[in-house]
Amino acid sequence: MQQALRRKLESFEPLSDSARWALNRLVLKVRQVAARQDLIREGDKPENVLLILDGFAYRYKVLPDGQRQIMALLVPGDFCDLNVFILDQMDHAIGTISACQVVDIPRQAIDEIARDHADIARAFWWCSLVDGAVLREWLVNIGGRLPPQRIAHLLCELLMRLEAVGRVTDNSYAFPLTQTQIADMMGLSDVHVNRTLRDLRAQGLIRLKRRVLTILDVERLQAFCDFTPNYLHLRNTRWGERRDLSWPGTAQEG
Amino acid sequence: MSGRGNVATLLVLQLQPIAVDTNSPDREGMLVIANGLLVAVLVRLAEPEHDNVGSWFLEAGFGRLQGQRVPTFPTLEDACRWLRRQLKPL
Repeated sequence: MQQALRRKLESFEPLSDSARWALNRLVLKVRQVAARQDLIREGDKPENVLLILDGFAYRYKVLPDGQRQIMALLVPGDFCDLNVFILDQMDHAIGTISACQVVDIPRQAIDEIARDHADIARAFWWCSLVDGAVLREWLVNIGGRLPPQRIAHLLCELLMRLEAVGRVTDNSYAFPLTQTQIADMMGLSDVHVNRTLRDLRAQGLIRLKRRVLTILDVERLQAFCDFTPNYLHLRNTRWGERRDLSWPGTAQEG
Repeated sequence: MSGRGNVATLLVLQLQPIAVDTNSPDREGMLVIANGLLVAVLVRLAEPEHDNVGSWFLEAGFGRLQGQRVPTFPTLEDACRWLRRQLKPL
């Protein structure tokens, strides 16, 4: 399970042995959190950086009329905001979707490891920048794509993000999201989510069985929603190779 | 509507059956007309995979109902009660 963080950081930056060793010390105290629990609420003072090692969590906000908007999905290897401890209070809540393994990293430990390991500091920057890029893409998704493409895009994104942390087998991954959660993420109604998933299944693009999602034809699903993974900035995308050239420190990595 | 006096607060809701293309088996619909204006299209959920088959879904809303996301209604009466509340003069 501890591998999730290392794999994620290494999908952005190659890490030295000493950096890997230091990372293992960062994730010593793992705690289990049941599904559908708040990890931190809006208005709370953030003390630690939370890291998800296993399971799914999400960022959300609830409007006065009870309408919930989910702004981000957190999967294994994702920090619940690396620099959040700089802020006085949370402007949104973070809750678990499925049972999660969570690590609470004291802010001091984050400061120290980033100071002692330049490669980790840079990988942390990648994490924050990519979180921002994903949020931008979600805005484009909600504002610019039709419901079927919107949901297909989420499924394509999850495939790549989960693959980067070793959570995908034969284009299948754990999919604990309920239709209501997808609706709250995509700005749609439960009914539209239900119809759309049914339609994607009918087109032979996906299979959803016992909370495992299989993408039956990755290329076709990506083409269906014009999925371009550049915003994930992963090294296993073709943009990754181009990026490595612009970082002299990583040139020997090949 | 002036919004003043008892006459103005009278809201006459008419339902008119209509078949709706939802790209799914949910086809049976109702146009909801309030004081002569189309305000909503309700659709009865028929697709067996819905959580609440048989209930009524606000497929589209116009005017003040535009973009509203509400849970489905068990009966047409429940839907109309909700619509009346929403359309009450401010």
